[in-house]
Amino acid sequence: MAVITLPYRYLEELVGTDRETIMKRLPMIGADIEREFEDHADVEFFPDRPDLFSTAGVARAMRGFLGIEGGLSDYEVKPSGISFTVDKNLKDIRPFLGTAVIRNVSLGEEAIESLMSLQEALHWAVGRGRAKVAIGVHDLDAVTPPFRYLASEKKRTFVPLDFEKAMTLDEILKEHPKGCDYARLVEDFPLYPLIVDAEDEVLSFPPIINGELTRVTTETTNILLDCTGTDERAVRRAVNIICTAFAETGATIESVEIDGEQVPDLSPAERRVSVKECNTLLGVELDAASMAGLLRSMRFGAEPDGDEIIVQVPCYRGDIMHDWDIFEDVAIAYGYENFDAGLPQSFTIGKPHPVMKLMGTVRTIMAGLGLHEMMPFTLTNERVLFDRMQRERSDAVLHLTHPISEEQTVMRTDILPMLMEALQFNQHHELPQKIFTVGDVIENTETFQKVAAVSTHTDADFSEIYAIADALCRELGLDYSVQESEDPAFIDGRRGDICVDGKKVGVFGEISPDVITAFELGQPVAALELDLRAVPGRL
Amino acid sequence: MTELTLNEKRLLTVLAHHKTSDPRTLADEMDATEDAVVQYAHLCDERGLAVLNRNVSVTYRLTDEGKIYREEGLPERQVYNSIEESTSMKDLQKHPLSKIAIGWMRKKGWIEIRAGVVTRSGDAPAGEDEKALADPASATPEAIKALLKRNLILEEETVTHEISITPAGIALVKAGLDLTEETGTLTREEITSGAWKDLRLRKYDVHKVPKRIYPGKTHPYMRLIDEMREILLDMGFTEIYGDIIQSSFWNFDALFQPQDHPAREMQDTFFLDLHRPVPEDYEKVRDMHESGGETSSTGWGGVWNKAKAEECVLRTHTTGLSIQHLAKNPKPPAKVFCVSRVYRREAIDPTHTPEFEQLEGFVMDDGVSFRHLMGFLKEFYRRMGFKDVRFRPAYFPYTEPSVEPEVYVDGLGWVELGGAGIFREEVTAPWGIKCPVLAWGLGVSRVAMLKMGLTDLRQLYRSDVDWVRESPINRQE
Repeated sequence: MAVITLPYRYLEELVGTDRETIMKRLPMIGADIEREFEDHADVEFFPDRPDLFSTAGVARAMRGFLGIEGGLSDYEVKPSGISFTVDKNLKDIRPFLGTAVIRNVSLGEEAIESLMSLQEALHWAVGRGRAKVAIGVHDLDAVTPPFRYLASEKKRTFVPLDFEKAMTLDEILKEHPKGCDYARLVEDFPLYPLIVDAEDEVLSFPPIINGELTRVTTETTNILLDCTGTDERAVRRAVNIICTAFAETGATIESVEIDGEQVPDLSPAERRVSVKECNTLLGVELDAASMAGLLRSMRFGAEPDGDEIIVQVPCYRGDIMHDWDIFEDVAIAYGYENFDAGLPQSFTIGKPHPVMKLMGTVRTIMAGLGLHEMMPFTLTNERVLFDRMQRERSDAVLHLTHPISEEQTVMRTDILPMLMEALQFNQHHELPQKIFTVGDVIENTETFQKVAAVSTHTDADFSEIYAIADALCRELGLDYSVQESEDPAFIDGRRGDICVDGKKVGVFGEISPDVITAFELGQPVAALELDLRAVPGRL
Repeated sequence: MTELTLNEKRLLTVLAHHKTSDPRTLADEMDATEDAVVQYAHLCDERGLAVLNRNVSVTYRLTDEGKIYREEGLPERQVYNSIEESTSMKDLQKHPLSKIAIGWMRKKGWIEIRAGVVTRSGDAPAGEDEKALADPASATPEAIKALLKRNLILEEETVTHEISITPAGIALVKAGLDLTEETGTLTREEITSGAWKDLRLRKYDVHKVPKRIYPGKTHPYMRLIDEMREILLDMGFTEIYGDIIQSSFWNFDALFQPQDHPAREMQDTFFLDLHRPVPEDYEKVRDMHESGGETSSTGWGGVWNKAKAEECVLRTHTTGLSIQHLAKNPKPPAKVFCVSRVYRREAIDPTHTPEFEQLEGFVMDDGVSFRHLMGFLKEFYRRMGFKDVRFRPAYFPYTEPSVEPEVYVDGLGWVELGGAGIFREEVTAPWGIKCPVLAWGLGVSRVAMLKMGLTDLRQLYRSDVDWVRESPINRQE
């Protein structure tokens, strides 16, 4: 989500109405008002609407939404006569270039800030942090066309923005703040991207940094826009958004020739959509004329044509990928608060999932035996899962490749260690404490369920936990037998394996004092754990 | 005043003769234990019919070591007595108690040691500690302290009681007390024979609060989850459940999330060193991403990478399970839900945990539309106790149109709770699903915090056992 600063005065000027009216309706176009200040508001827009990342873009949308001005904004583009060549050697480095000339800009401090913030927001939303798209803005009058976008030797030098002396491209990657931030995007290439003018002066080193030479100030009246990247669509979209934003504030856009083609092309794309399909999807009954009217209030061009509408999609709406993207705009214009929310007639019968049902049964049994349920994490670490339990570390455990902390590095294979931890968290609380958990574990990449229980008090012992284990198995309908256990978490001679069909499916007994003290406890602990895959008729 | 118990009456009757006495005497007369007598006296004291005085006196008892030294003298005394006017250190150390004694003799100034020669000094008078050892009762506090420190005596507290009757008590006895035997619990004989009617049944004090006991319980959070499951089951939804491990294909790609989306980076998602092959019809999903397939979509463009789709993750949402279910069951109608744990790579703090519950539901049927989605949301939230629901435009990568429900909470105002939308056609078309799929999801842990008034998310997973024990099963809103 991108947070944009909207200065009220400027917004009012561009929209043509008061701030209260604008701010009241703004959320219903798809925005989150984060904070309101004396003279501006911080508003969050969705990442699929980068055309709203500037005051001019928001104003354009709100003029439509408030009924002040509708339909397509007309963007006239005349050729500038300037050309730009793209070096073929950039093909495997950073092949795509978008550009435009923007004349008659009037840039106050506020406008420059707004431009920079739009650039950053676009880098984030469209550019994937400059990898896909990087935007550079230059004072056109400081350089001489034609321009060249080429793959340069690394020892080429120029004076980067905010610095005073010339540096080589490699030096910039190491010493300039932006160089350090984005070096990884180019450092592996044999040559680096560079934009130069007719006199070999450097405009920029995309995607890293512009030159000090073409710095944009409040004095600048003509801008050269450069947009380089690895995704052609994204590059075009970024150029369209910036150009149209400037155009909205009164600047003129002129095209540049790249390889015989004039760019940018700010003309709309055309789509034919079905009125019936839109009505069916939304659950409304609009006729073609009304639907077209709604689309015009969302700044589309729209003309009914029988049972279809011919829609002109503005060049800055990169989020329109499918007909339904247009239908969402119809819904927004219609007003979400105006929908007749109601339930459909469909009849279905509900059914719980067998695993949830089984776990519910286990809960009933354990609560019935007087225990209290805990819901610990499933993520844990090998110290808790194995070492403290005096058990061997197992290969069957699932590891996270990039854990966020030392405490969560693996998925639990057993629940019992989590309950010991729960007792540890509760060591200063009154005894007796008798708790259980039933839930997922992962062993050998298989997700399945286990139940575990612990009882701690001065008289917690083998016969208590055997009785609980026996009751649990009986109530679950398990035909089980018990063998002597070798599980090192329990005291020798006070532990049993629960077996079904000759296979070990569970264990119970008195927990070893080594384990008890490893969890900072002191009283006897009796415990059990059972693999619920053993339960007959499960799934 | 509630009636006196029989035992209180018996105590007063006996005490009336003695006026003042001790538990031993009274116990013998009443044929009861001293502890019991103290108990009855306490009850009478509460009513002002007797006075129970409790005295704690301290006595001293010699330890075994102390007893030995009382007979044979303290080690330093024994050793002192055994040496001549002067002795060599070497000879002195031959005495078995020399190790303890030398230190004490020096401390007490009984000897001087110079150049390996030990000389008696002064005449080593009997110390307070030695007197105390012989007769602890008459010892000075300092001497007692010294002996305690050397573990030669132990301090014991003796509690004695003195019970006296008050004028009110005497008056009551004079007025006459009915000492007929009271019956506590009835026997089978007494009940069935009717004999109980002639017995005097002891009355119990209804104002005395009983000892607290607790039923075994499911976790309060689980109870909330079950409430939400019930709501959906009541509305005709079928529950699904599945693997925690998901391939990127089902967790991201099948949901039309582009392969370069930030959520698919290591920072936000728990990746696993595991690969699962893409399913048979994967090309349909690939085509969706690259060009929009057969739909009116342009797709994301670019080249779709099969290997990336085979990387496994801990599921970041349950939507992967939903689309897998739909892929296997593309024919309408379907009303499905899931409440399960999902994983995000976030550090643990009061409002974030790396794992938490998410609820997800979807409806797939002929003729369902966006307005029905709002209808489901309104109904679902109403049953959860939120009567006021409103809707705002939203954005999710796999739904279009999307909507964000907000509920009104007293004290907080409008709160965003979950998200919803219609699955994009790019998501459903590969599997032959022809009807719209209405979907919504919400973070259950967040709802739990709202409804249970919690401020710290960790309370749900690192629970205080007292909180679990005390949370009433019938929760009040």
